Amino acid sequence: MKALRYLALSIAAVLFLVPFYLVVRNGLVAESEISAPSWTFLPSAVRWENFGELFGNPAVPLVRSMVNSLVVAVLQTAGQLLLCSLAGYGLARIPYRYANVVFYFVVATLMIPAAVTFVPTFVVVSTLGWVSDLRGLVIPGLFSGFTAFLFRQYFLNFPRELEEAARIDGLGHWGTFWRVVVPNSRGFFAALGVIAFVTSWNQFLWPLVIAQDQDSWTVQVALSTFLTAQSINVHELFLAAAVSITPLVIVFVAMQRWLVRGVTETGIKG
Amino acid sequence: MISRRRLLSLAGASALLAACGSNTGRGDDGQALKQWYHAYGEPGVQQAVERYAKAYAKTPVDVQWNPGDYDSKLATSLLSGGGPDVFESTPQLSSVRAGQLVPLDDVFGDAKSDFSESILATHTVDGKIYGVPQAVDMQMLFYRKSFFTQAGVQPPSTVDELVDAARRLTTGSVKGLFAGNDGGGGVLGGPALWSAGLDYVRDRQVGFDDPLAATAVGKLRELYTSGSLLLGAVKDWAEPDAFVQGLVAMQWTGLWAVPAVVKALGDDFGVLPFPALSSSGKPSVPVGAFGAMVNAKSKRIDEAKDFVKWLWIEKTDYQEDFNLSYGFHIPPRKSISEKASKLTSRPAADAVKFVRDNAKASNPPDWTSVMRTAFNDAVSRVVRDGAPADAELKAAAGVARDELKRLYG
Amino acid sequence: MRNGRAFWLFVGPFAAGLLVFVYVPIGWSLLLSFFDARNTVTPTEFVGLRNYADMLTDGPFLSSLGTFSVFAAFIVPLTFVLALALALLVSQISFMQAFFRSVFFLPTACSYVVASLVWKLSIFNGLRSGLANTVLGWFGADPVAWTVSTSPPWYWLVLVTLRLWLQLGFYMILFIAGLQRIPAVLYEAAALDGARSWQAFRFVTLPQLRTTSVAVLLLLLIGAYQAFDEFYNVLGTDRGYPPFARPPLIYLYYTALGSGGQDFGHGSAGAVILTLLIVGVTLLQGRAVRR
Repeated sequence: MKALRYLALSIAAVLFLVPFYLVVRNGLVAESEISAPSWTFLPSAVRWENFGELFGNPAVPLVRSMVNSLVVAVLQTAGQLLLCSLAGYGLARIPYRYANVVFYFVVATLMIPAAVTFVPTFVVVSTLGWVSDLRGLVIPGLFSGFTAFLFRQYFLNFPRELEEAARIDGLGHWGTFWRVVVPNSRGFFAALGVIAFVTSWNQFLWPLVIAQDQDSWTVQVALSTFLTAQSINVHELFLAAAVSITPLVIVFVAMQRWLVRGVTETGIKG
Repeated sequence: MISRRRLLSLAGASALLAACGSNTGRGDDGQALKQWYHAYGEPGVQQAVERYAKAYAKTPVDVQWNPGDYDSKLATSLLSGGGPDVFESTPQLSSVRAGQLVPLDDVFGDAKSDFSESILATHTVDGKIYGVPQAVDMQMLFYRKSFFTQAGVQPPSTVDELVDAARRLTTGSVKGLFAGNDGGGGVLGGPALWSAGLDYVRDRQVGFDDPLAATAVGKLRELYTSGSLLLGAVKDWAEPDAFVQGLVAMQWTGLWAVPAVVKALGDDFGVLPFPALSSSGKPSVPVGAFGAMVNAKSKRIDEAKDFVKWLWIEKTDYQEDFNLSYGFHIPPRKSISEKASKLTSRPAADAVKFVRDNAKASNPPDWTSVMRTAFNDAVSRVVRDGAPADAELKAAAGVARDELKRLYG
Repeated sequence: MRNGRAFWLFVGPFAAGLLVFVYVPIGWSLLLSFFDARNTVTPTEFVGLRNYADMLTDGPFLSSLGTFSVFAAFIVPLTFVLALALALLVSQISFMQAFFRSVFFLPTACSYVVASLVWKLSIFNGLRSGLANTVLGWFGADPVAWTVSTSPPWYWLVLVTLRLWLQLGFYMILFIAGLQRIPAVLYEAAALDGARSWQAFRFVTLPQLRTTSVAVLLLLLIGAYQAFDEFYNVLGTDRGYPPFARPPLIYLYYTALGSGGQDFGHGSAGAVILTLLIVGVTLLQGRAVRR
């Protein structure tokens, strides 16, 4: 029984890893080894010079689009954590006459996935003149009602004693939040932050719509463009894909603990 | 560029919201004009157009090469303020009505009479010209002479002969015909109509609301089900790869591919128009020309027009280079096409002759993307799924009729 | 009123953003949906409910909802069952547990674009040398044009396996978290009653996972509802999108923004209908859970 379990898991693990292997394999072989009539699992030769070819190809703005993705993901993660944690704390801890009204105003947006309203959002963002602009890529994704809601739930369970101690020390809401609440919530911030970063790095529909200038392409838009056009060498495309997932694989290895917590937090409480 | 300016404007949380109010848009501060091309498949074109842009002294010009779904991208960008100043396309009645394009009559000057009238007509709406034709493209049928001789098959002169030839030339690893990975639904819909003496739009009316259309499109279905079409090739119909690799005996592609095919096959190939279905129809070749156009939302319309005038009216040497040095196109200007020696030898000369005798406009201005999508979808469903041709075409004709009514009133 | 100022200091920026980037777009969209808004976002021709009538009678939009239903019918149960199976397997082992969990979770690092690249150009390309066709070749079968063929519609195999690979690990993590919350005493009690392992699964595990299961099902459904990336990247070409396998967002993209005619009236009406549908489903689910 135990052996059977391990057998099943091992087969599944191989199936899960094959696509990763294919990205790397196809990225590091000669073009002919991708479309050769008889395909082999192991390539006959590994061509490291593919890296030079890819990064030397002026038609493929890989570095530029990676930088764009990084800037967008970092700004979006930081901005979302900042805005949503503040809002979550205010909703959880500051008694106010209209707090309930505002809470419903936030919660109502939980039911509407952002992707479903991409056409209306495009209308607004293009009217603001933010097409092909960093602002258009970053700002509309900052206001996640869901993240704010999660922060509120989290802060509702935050130990009041800590806050009261801060209050006695003469700190107001603002000081309490920054000096006591945030430092004691690092794990939660890390968990939601990793999720936000991964989501932002991998998002596609919104950048596709808004990043029209090649200079504003994110790496997903760049890959997709060459994938649908098939206008560059396939091995370069695979190598670019391999390069594009490297940052996230690093995030995965380094921060898996937070990521798993983030998935659990965002998945179950939704 | 991710301008550092924009980055700075983002710094700090307060700026996030302050930025909502500002609308700097694209600068008029000496930034470059933006020019868009779709991605030409032939090597060298991208470098060439960048070279032209660089040679323009008055204003810096940034060329953007757009692989992928160019039509969709262009449509989105023309709506928003973020699009190019200058771009290549064909004018659509709907875009003109929506005021998205700038009339360019004053750009032509004396050169107007030098342009082929029929090509200019495809860039004219309500008497105004919206694009300066850059290069005339045409599509036709390439066939491998040696394969035909071997199989004892004559080049087809009717649609039925084409279906028959495709079937007889299919042997083992070689398929009879490649007309796109979708089985021809995308590119052969128009030729099928013309083969039956019909058209997309005729005198402001739907031109294919006719039982014959179903028969003509039914022939494409016959081809598809005969097992003689190549499907799932790595490069689609616009590239001649499948043909030169000997995977097919015939391929539908364009004049632009001639240099590549000559290089690979020498004189072992010939070209044909799409044949006629019946005596009422005629052989046809789709002909169209991308033109240089100016975005009405551009903040620098005058500079953009100056640039278009310089490149596509004045710089005849660039125009010649663009048309003939990479893939083959027919120069839209008589003065250039007359002395184009590359178009006087056999396969290319045949193509020029087809354009003279059998040309059909592939993108007339009043065949808008809405109508085209409806028609292509209908044809594709008939070809691939075996949907009933008469009902599908009737529905597409309904869409086209509504759109024509909206645009022409 | 000091609290009021503090409250808005915390909540104000976020609420303002929500207003501008969620409420204003939806409101504007509602407005556009009553106009003939082709090639413009500031229309003048009021058409009442015509856009809605068109969308609800017109084939393409309804068939996009049909496409979603087919997709959901495959992907939701498959992901649910397989993710639960993986979670059970992983949580029942001790040696190398972290390794297996990480391997199954790793695809979450991958974008739909990269996965589409692998599926379209490597595993399921139409050539004899595609991985799937190579496997078919071992059994003497002819190569299949996976992403082009509509009869039989092999593209579903491509799209469903792609999404399975990408999302299984995510849902496995959710199930593992759910399993960990089940008190061990329940299993001990079941064992005392002589329950066999499948009985323990049936009468302890499944009922205890109820909350997790409902959340997973809803997330899967909402995810399928928003499907766009893999459809666009696997099936889209430089000449546009084929006339099949168009889920709602693909349809909206081509209607409003793509080459399909810059039609914001119909596009907005579609967005409003989709929003109402998903709000309706969420509210229904909320009521079902509360009972």
